Amino acid sequence: MVVGIKQDIPSEFSFEKEKTIAKSFSNRFQWEMVLIGIGQACIWLSVWPLVFNQIIPLWIGFIVATLCSCMAYLPSHEAQHGNYSRGKPERRWIDSLVGHFTLITLMYPYEVLRVTHMKHHAYTNDSEKDPDFGTSNPKSLWEVTLRVLDGSSLDYGKYLEVYADDNAFVDAMNRGTIVYLLYRSILLSLVIFFPFEALFLWWLPSKIGIVYTTIFFSWYPHQGTTLGRYKDTRFWRHWMPRYINHSMQLHVIHHLHPSIGHYSEPKAVEALKPFLIARGVPGAEQIPDRVSYNPLVKF
Amino acid sequence: MLEKFTSHLENWNKVWFGFIFLGSVFNAISKEFSFLSVIPNITMWSFALGIFIGLIAKYRGKWLWG
Repeated sequence: MVVGIKQDIPSEFSFEKEKTIAKSFSNRFQWEMVLIGIGQACIWLSVWPLVFNQIIPLWIGFIVATLCSCMAYLPSHEAQHGNYSRGKPERRWIDSLVGHFTLITLMYPYEVLRVTHMKHHAYTNDSEKDPDFGTSNPKSLWEVTLRVLDGSSLDYGKYLEVYADDNAFVDAMNRGTIVYLLYRSILLSLVIFFPFEALFLWWLPSKIGIVYTTIFFSWYPHQGTTLGRYKDTRFWRHWMPRYINHSMQLHVIHHLHPSIGHYSEPKAVEALKPFLIARGVPGAEQIPDRVSYNPLVKF
Repeated sequence: MLEKFTSHLENWNKVWFGFIFLGSVFNAISKEFSFLSVIPNITMWSFALGIFIGLIAKYRGKWLWG
């Protein structure tokens, strides 16, 4: 028996049937995500010589760097779930390559994000065990933004204690800490010689990217939700077209079936809509019949 | 040795960040404006401001006010 699954729903909406449908959307190689992840990091790297050689002004470099940082997390997120290798050991290098490289713009270690994200999936909305609890449960947009900016949303020391018996978690966090220190060392070295470039091409864009990612990946999808497989994430709509916030309105389907590729989620939501309604997923009744090419705007 | 270094960073990372990062940025800003660059020892004051902000952040446990 799968934990958190209601047993009193019609058999046509059984978990087995749901899983079969979800699996049909979980096979495609996500070349677009690889392109976006590697591409935005390469564009970001190229901005530096362009600014140093005054081919583009610093303010344009800042805008480009910020856009890159806002695109950085999602490709890494797919890597965190092993969605590039899809269980094939000979392809795991793609997960590692994309996962690590794409996060340069965010200045964040892949291993830390990977293991904390897996715990987030396992313990979504658990106040003690969910590493994202501090960012998914603030009561307002302002509060979550402030928590991200002032660093109080990160409490990795706490989760190292919570998961002290999980050797894989601890080892990954320690490896990630080395990468984090490397990023910091490079930043603090750069800022001495190139203060404005370090500020406007890396530090500030990464901060904006982290705030953007946290708001749309962590806060909006879990607002007002509780514990439980079908209750911990919601379908939501927004004045902003979903193409500007990485379609996080559909994040609920990712929590239910993380192997579904990002660009397969609209069709997966269309196919699984009756299941989501039957299970009482928050907001499921608002899912339109057509999600593909639908910006899901609501004023 | 590594443990001491890690422990030092855990306790003083905000101060170091304030000193090096903020101090360097403040110093660069001060050089862009003539009314600031004429202040004696402006470089020293820039890095001192960075350390001060880092110390406040260390004391408060977080960076922003709120």
